[in-house]
Amino acid sequence: MSNSEKKISLPSEAVKIYQIIDENGNISIRELEKQTKLDRGKLEYYLGFLVTNELISRLEIESHQISLTNNGKEAAENQLVERRITKILKEKVSVSFADLSKLVKTENKEMNAGVGLLKKQGLIKIDKGQISIIDKKKEVNKELQIILEQLLSGETVDTSNFNEILLQRNLASLEEVKDILLEILIPFKEVSPSIQKMSEVSRLTPEMIRDGSWRDTRLREYNLKASPPTFYGGRKQPYAEFLDEVKQKLCALGFKEMRGPIVELEFWNFDALFQAQNHSAREWSDVYQVSNPKQGKLPKADYVENVKKAHENGYDTGSKGWRYKWDPLKSAHLVLRAHGTSVSARTLVDLEVPSKYFSISRCFRPDTVDVTHLSEFTQVEGIVVDPSITFRDLLGILKAFAVDIAENENFKFKPDYYPFTEPSVELNVLDPNLGWIEFGGAGIFRPEVTKPFGIEAPVIAWGLGIERLFMVKNGITDIRELFSHKFDWLRTAKMSRG
Amino acid sequence: MVSIKASYKKMQEMLGKQLSIEQLDDLLSYAKSEIDQYIEEEDMLVIDIKTSNRPDLWSPEGMIREIKGILEEESGIPEYEVKESGYVVKVDSQLASTRPYIACAIAKNISLTDYYIKQIMQLSEKIDFSYGRRRKRSSIGFYNLSMIKSPIEYKVIEETHEFIPLESTEKMSLERILEEHEKGKEFGHIVKEYGHYPILLSADGTTLSLPPVINSNDVGKITEETTGSLIEVTGNNFETVNVVLNILCQVLVNHGAEIYSVKIEYPPDIYIASVITPLLDKEEIEIDLDVVNKYLGTKMKPKDAVKLIAKRRFNCNSIDSKILTIEIPPYRKDILHWVDIAEELAIALDYNKIGPTKWTVLTTGGLLPETESENLVRNILVGAGGTEVLTNILTDPEILTTRVNIDKQDYVKIENPVTSTYSVMRKMIYPLLINVLSKNTHETYPQMLFEVGEIVKLIDKKVVTQSNAAFLFADADASFEDTHKRLNQLLSLLNTNYEIKQVNHPSFTEGRCGQIIIENKECGIIGEFHPSILENNQIWVPVVGFEIELPLIPSLKCKVKSTD
Repeated sequence: MSNSEKKISLPSEAVKIYQIIDENGNISIRELEKQTKLDRGKLEYYLGFLVTNELISRLEIESHQISLTNNGKEAAENQLVERRITKILKEKVSVSFADLSKLVKTENKEMNAGVGLLKKQGLIKIDKGQISIIDKKKEVNKELQIILEQLLSGETVDTSNFNEILLQRNLASLEEVKDILLEILIPFKEVSPSIQKMSEVSRLTPEMIRDGSWRDTRLREYNLKASPPTFYGGRKQPYAEFLDEVKQKLCALGFKEMRGPIVELEFWNFDALFQAQNHSAREWSDVYQVSNPKQGKLPKADYVENVKKAHENGYDTGSKGWRYKWDPLKSAHLVLRAHGTSVSARTLVDLEVPSKYFSISRCFRPDTVDVTHLSEFTQVEGIVVDPSITFRDLLGILKAFAVDIAENENFKFKPDYYPFTEPSVELNVLDPNLGWIEFGGAGIFRPEVTKPFGIEAPVIAWGLGIERLFMVKNGITDIRELFSHKFDWLRTAKMSRG
Repeated sequence: MVSIKASYKKMQEMLGKQLSIEQLDDLLSYAKSEIDQYIEEEDMLVIDIKTSNRPDLWSPEGMIREIKGILEEESGIPEYEVKESGYVVKVDSQLASTRPYIACAIAKNISLTDYYIKQIMQLSEKIDFSYGRRRKRSSIGFYNLSMIKSPIEYKVIEETHEFIPLESTEKMSLERILEEHEKGKEFGHIVKEYGHYPILLSADGTTLSLPPVINSNDVGKITEETTGSLIEVTGNNFETVNVVLNILCQVLVNHGAEIYSVKIEYPPDIYIASVITPLLDKEEIEIDLDVVNKYLGTKMKPKDAVKLIAKRRFNCNSIDSKILTIEIPPYRKDILHWVDIAEELAIALDYNKIGPTKWTVLTTGGLLPETESENLVRNILVGAGGTEVLTNILTDPEILTTRVNIDKQDYVKIENPVTSTYSVMRKMIYPLLINVLSKNTHETYPQMLFEVGEIVKLIDKKVVTQSNAAFLFADADASFEDTHKRLNQLLSLLNTNYEIKQVNHPSFTEGRCGQIIIENKECGIIGEFHPSILENNQIWVPVVGFEIELPLIPSLKCKVKSTD
């Protein structure tokens, strides 16, 4: 079928645009925007008709465009500094630099440049600090001023002779511009006989609905292929949202949430967890100390006394204890919570039996920040207490975490070490790309941890490596991205809930 | 965690089998260790050992001892004969309050290659650093036996005493060693705290070392040529110095050395009697197998348990119905309670073979009311168009002060920051959001961002943690009403009446800033940020915003959490 036999329906605006493109042979969208005075969205809409009817083609091009800098805009509006200087000098015999600066109303740096330029061109002379003009009739940099004004008004200007000076004086910058070139495929006159102009409206108005005139109106088709304008609605931070999801899953498994303070007593962070006071994890290099105030208040005296005994002689647990003199002052030191287990430790007071708890808490360690370390990080931790619970049940809990939270049926257990649990176990899950990765750890709290708080039932303590899981799921390799400041990521990161 | 380097080839040689990296890694898990890296060109494994209270595992020999037990190639506590050397160490009573304890042994017929000497040095360094608390609790020295005469004196000496320290060619006084020698600078502070200089002297007056700082250059080292060595551990804890010596002797025995004992003569104000070291007496612990089975959820019979515990290099010679008496190897001091033996049994059974139960502890789950409250606020602010961000709680004082026009803030400070970038606790969130805006000026406007998060502050000299919400709006057309209408929507949805009282605040433009007042309490700030802040942060559009303290909104259930 030849073109002449086919009827082509086009809105009249599209026909006009078709003619403009035809007259030019080819034209960039930017230029077309100027000629038609249509905004880009509308223009794209009409161009859509021409492209789908194969009347024109679109070609992406790159070009360099000169555009005014803030300096350049100012010079275009208020005249170049050298022109402002000469204007004032023409009215006076001679002026001091300071007075001139006030009259020209500009910064010293720019003044200096202007005066220097005029002096170089031999248009002014400076005598004993007094500046005067040599030739009152001569106009300085008139062509440059015109070019600047044309650029400001958005006219198409050939700046090629001035590019060097514009760039050098930081009046303009050269930018790479992406544009689209529209080329005519079939000349207008060949198609014009078969064009039918559509007469429709584009917008449905409240009046049309009310007065029923919509019945007699054909609503113009939208160009559904046109890309929409960018839009960023409000959204939650992707990592925060992932943590919400983990919380929800833990709640579904019957875990209650617990929270604790960020600035913590060493008592809860270490002593209650049976970490000896000279343990290397308690050194300066491993935990942030607070400098104001340095000390907090220890909890109820009998808990403190029992913990002290647990350290010194094992309390009544049958343990040997650490056999040293326990220092309550050290225990009252304030530190930044170094692990979520301190929140679990606080929960041991008045613990309900049976019960299950979790916390998602920000923790802090003096690490140098790099791709695998943050100065603060999130720990997911919790406890399960039940008089009949066993080590095998603990493995069952870890299995549930692997299956329900990491969504991974391939898991294995390895012996692990925590100062406060015995036995201790590490949970590994098999990632299809990375191999076995550590996903969690758990253990049964030592009796030296639980008995001082009057708990006879076994308490399982567990923790999950949730940051790693999020990174693996989202292909993130740099842990710093979790706290990313990049709007680009915050606005566009894909949601992975499923 | 402790990290060591070892040759992959030598590990396989010692195990007497060829193993892939993965197979070796699997076996190492029984020694609570894992391969962190394998550098093929150097035949080098970097192995992480997870336990900080098992220094006996911090060498390839120690890990292999454990693995051979699991593979049932060896079993029970490794035994070796100790002969008397006739050497004596006399301890000075002046050391009673500083570094009183010493444990020594003599190893003969040693033939160590350079690789194994380096391995032993690595082990000693790791033990000194971590288990020995950077040599404060204990430190190790090796000496060439042929240059030492008994009795050896461990005593206090004057600071003018001189010897040639390791890595040096000239005689230096003890005082000078602390000031000038690299090790003196690193460990000298321990000696300075003592207020006197401990020294080890051979009977002929030769200096062995200045514990715990540095050995003598001629006596205090071993090489491939050394056949006899004196090993010495000094420290402030009797048990520690002895267990460390036992670990070292065990490693040397693995290389065919013969161990000889040394008699330590303590004065009565340090220890009740003389001690012959190494002290290889085996401690015992009793376990009730019924209790252990209940704890683990297993069904071990006494004879199973005896076999299993031997796989973990313990001995069990006595069974009285369900009560087992277990002997602990003399290189381990980490067994405090029967739960420690329960773990050994569980590891010998293999966690993966014990297998998980289908656990059920029926409880009701749920979020805390304060988290629910925060989520409510987050949802409203997302609806208001906000992009949520997470920023650091531990942050840069500059971001909290000069960058938002504030001179001084009474925030909680860190005594030992790694860098000043992370050295104070935020007490407000908005300065961090300003910082986020300053890093995104190339992104499309309007930019609306918020954070609901924890802050730390001082109330009556007490440190508390609480949650705040901050919302910022940045756009060429931004004006006060953009933030006001959002605050209004937030508080009206939360059924809370509020007022705004005009105030001056250094972060905001005068006349364009107010305090948010709820029930006559100041609970937040709202306004247009001062242009100087925008300029300072290179944000080239107006920014308006608010921050509100969530515990002060009566309809929410957020709490102020005190540390005390």
